Amino acid sequence: MWIRTKNQEDKRLLILAGVAALWGAAIVFQLFKLQIWQHHEYLRQAEAQQVQTVEVQAPRGSLFDRNGEPLALSVKVESVFVNPRLVPDLEVAADLLAPTLNLDRKTLFERLSMKIDPGKGKTLRGFVWVKRRVTPEEARQLRSLELDWIGFQSESQRLYPKGELAATVIGGVNHEERGNAGVELKLNEELTGQDGAARVLTDVRGASVETIEVRAPQPGTNLVLSIDERIQFLAERELQAACARTGAHAGTLVIMKPDTGDLLAVASYNREDPASRQNLAVLAPFEPGSVFKVFTIAGALEAGVARPETIFPCGILTMFGRVLHEAKSAYGPMPVTDILVKSSNVGAAQIGLRLGSEKLYESLRKFGFGQKTGVPLPGEETGRLQNARRWNRDTILSIPMGHEVSTTAVQLARAACVIANGGFLVKPRLVLRKQYANGMVETLPPGRLERVLSPERAHELRQMMEAVVLRGTGKAARLKGYTAGGKTGSAQIYDHRIGRYTHTYNASFLGFAPVTKPSVVVVVTLNGTSGGSAGYGGAAAAPVFQTVTQETLRILEVPKDLPEDDSSPSAAEPAEEGPTEEAPVPAVLRAEAHPDPDEALLMAQALSRQAGQVAGPRVPDFQGKSVRAVMEEASALGLPVILNGKGRAFLQVPPAGAVLPPGQSVRVEFAR
Amino acid sequence: MTPYRSVRDFDWPLILTALLISGIGILQIYSATAGSKFADAWWKQIVFVCAGLVLMWVIASIDYHSLLGQVPLLYLASLAGLVLVLLVGVKIYGARRWLSLGGFYLQVSEFVKLVLILVVARFLTEVRTETLDLGGFFKLSLIVLVPAALVAKEPDLGTALTYLPVLAIGAFLAGLRWKYIVVIGLVVLVVLPAGWYALKDYQKARLITFLNPEADPQGSGYQLIQSRIAVGSGGMWGKGVTQGTQTNLEFLPVPHADFILASFAEEHGFVGVVGVLTLYFVLLMQIVQNAQTATDRAGMYICMGVSAVLLFHIFVNVAMVVGNAPVTGIPLPLMSAGGSNTLSTFLMLGLVNNVRLRRFVN
Repeated sequence: MWIRTKNQEDKRLLILAGVAALWGAAIVFQLFKLQIWQHHEYLRQAEAQQVQTVEVQAPRGSLFDRNGEPLALSVKVESVFVNPRLVPDLEVAADLLAPTLNLDRKTLFERLSMKIDPGKGKTLRGFVWVKRRVTPEEARQLRSLELDWIGFQSESQRLYPKGELAATVIGGVNHEERGNAGVELKLNEELTGQDGAARVLTDVRGASVETIEVRAPQPGTNLVLSIDERIQFLAERELQAACARTGAHAGTLVIMKPDTGDLLAVASYNREDPASRQNLAVLAPFEPGSVFKVFTIAGALEAGVARPETIFPCGILTMFGRVLHEAKSAYGPMPVTDILVKSSNVGAAQIGLRLGSEKLYESLRKFGFGQKTGVPLPGEETGRLQNARRWNRDTILSIPMGHEVSTTAVQLARAACVIANGGFLVKPRLVLRKQYANGMVETLPPGRLERVLSPERAHELRQMMEAVVLRGTGKAARLKGYTAGGKTGSAQIYDHRIGRYTHTYNASFLGFAPVTKPSVVVVVTLNGTSGGSAGYGGAAAAPVFQTVTQETLRILEVPKDLPEDDSSPSAAEPAEEGPTEEAPVPAVLRAEAHPDPDEALLMAQALSRQAGQVAGPRVPDFQGKSVRAVMEEASALGLPVILNGKGRAFLQVPPAGAVLPPGQSVRVEFAR
Repeated sequence: MTPYRSVRDFDWPLILTALLISGIGILQIYSATAGSKFADAWWKQIVFVCAGLVLMWVIASIDYHSLLGQVPLLYLASLAGLVLVLLVGVKIYGARRWLSLGGFYLQVSEFVKLVLILVVARFLTEVRTETLDLGGFFKLSLIVLVPAALVAKEPDLGTALTYLPVLAIGAFLAGLRWKYIVVIGLVVLVVLPAGWYALKDYQKARLITFLNPEADPQGSGYQLIQSRIAVGSGGMWGKGVTQGTQTNLEFLPVPHADFILASFAEEHGFVGVVGVLTLYFVLLMQIVQNAQTATDRAGMYICMGVSAVLLFHIFVNVAMVVGNAPVTGIPLPLMSAGGSNTLSTFLMLGLVNNVRLRRFVN
């Protein structure tokens, strides 16, 4: 029977084989379709879920002062995140993380258990920052737990080793390390560098398995600023003290090297907002007042319409329906030198009239008024100098004494440099050198010098300004051991709300020293001084010039040009001239032509910079460590530090082991 | 029985092919689990293969006619075992499929396959007519469907389904008339939609997913999509040993078990998969050849039962991996890591050798 049915069974076996072959063919066809025909599509899908391209942050460039002192540095810090979906128990996770990282357990737990779609979904987030910028110690403790749901992300943190020093110049950065004020903002692109890219192979839980660098990050450019950290410190300290003394609500102090235009210090202080990163020296134009007379006279000398000894009538001037008075007394006719020394309003107006509006305007333009200086700080203002064709009939009486114009402190300093350096208009320089990531160093030359004043006229002006200090309104500016020249200024502040001038002043002083070959030009402005004549430029601003210039010349080691004992204080001078301070110029301006310094100050908004945390940890021993090491250690501990010098640390206050009182900084001195 | 039987008489091409496939499987298990929590699966699989070879030798040395004589006892023991699983089995991932025997989890349903092959062989041998009549078919169906129902209840629909080819091919070869085949086919087609309501929720989801995997890419469609991506991204030559990113980055779930071929396809490409399928083809042809040279119908039915089960396993698993069949939980014999399936496969090969060793004896 087996033999007989064999045929039938063979036939059925064949049919089975056929069915199996068809099935097998279908499978092989599908394999072919997936692996060869649609291979690229599936490869793309595989890559899409396995490979992520991430940016690799490039280190931001550092900022140094002209002597190589670090002003801003970026250091690597770590931030901690978790993937709550991988956490076995969120309660336990919060119990574990909160004490280690000094976080509030309740809020941490709430953040961890946050849902993607709070309304309906129950899915937990896949990524939650636990704490940004943890200390190395915290990171080490977390690492030792060896939990795979804790992740670390390396981040860069900006540090300012000098604390608030030069904050209005340096500015600050936001949480993404992008500049948001000062040089950090203005030169952000150069400082930022080029982020690199990396391909990260991630597993199904999103954890990275392998990282392949595709493009190396290009570090940002280091910038060496013209600022001298010591002089900047001095300027800021004295400016703040002066504001407190005179009641001024704001002020600026600019110190410039007249030959190169290097800005050695640009201090800006705003009492309402001391933490502001706005630099009023470039963005708050003000009516300069009498300091402007210098440039009126410069124009007249250069045009040849007057000599220092040329006599002009002073005392009172009635013209264009206005009566112009002197501040104190009715002077008689005076030579130009005395007009400057005594700050005669009528004299200045007479000189202006002699020169003519067209020529006065051209001369002031040459000195750079009404034009930006190009200093790399954000929001620089042009100031206001209207074209002579659009002047009113009586504008020629106002501008010579510094009204109906406005200027920033930096513009004023640049114009003073022309007189100080023998006639050249310089370009203010804030960046001396650029150190590129590839090691190349580019030294930026001083801007092209343009002669706008003959050397003889510059010399005459310097002598006239020296006279102001020796026997005029600026006696409080006399230095010990150095000759100095300058000019005071006081302008009454116009209050728009009540529509008239108030009894507060813009007190200013513009000067240089030593007279024969000036090393520095210093401009002091104090906004809103009070107290009658004590708020005038001569009384309020000139002493600031005296202190700051004296100290700056010492720092710069400028040889003295006067015997020490010769420098008898101004009080010893015969008091024949009496109170020589010029009174503020009366109201001659229309309101709309009047730039309101208060308004400019309002623009100053607080832009917070990550300030060092104030805490009471013990101060570590910094002895023998490098600047960078000290900074990284201090930042890790959250200690504010002030660093001085280069090389290795040799002195620290408070000493190692002491507890730092809240609100104070550790001072560390370095030496080679 | 004649003592004239030696090691030489074993079907060596069959055994070598099986060992070759097992070797490839072990390498792939190693590659797919390196660094994961299943990293010890490869040497466990070596142990299972060795144990399988021993069992194969043991079962080959007992004359299959004696085995056929014990069928009623074996069948009752199988039913008892399956009931025992339902009562005291170990529950893993919601399914009660295993008996715990001293630390070793025994999947009884895998071994019931062997018993069913013998039962069907004996039943069809005892049919004296030239063709299997309808009454006989129903009886046979009942015999197969009772344990299948018990397995489906675990629930393990995949393994339950592997019992059906034994019935189908047995009945077909026993000469069931074409008109009956057509009628039975039609009845099944009508009953199948009704069976939808008997399915568990996860089984329904798998079916819907198979028809449209993108409907729920993160849920039940996940395995199918990831498997397809693994296979597709392998391309012609594959990504290389341990270079399968789908596998190593754990996008492909449990890549050493049911989805081992996806992992293999990713690392060895189209060429590799076709090579492995060719080995399986050689293996099946070797079994079919043994069926044809068997001395009696019982031996033929045993061999064809084995080939039916293996063919079904291979085709359903491969079809699942390439996205042609729903996820059923049917492992790839000899390659997928797993003790019970490996042992039962070698036992089935032992049955084939059993038949072969006795082809000249009657």
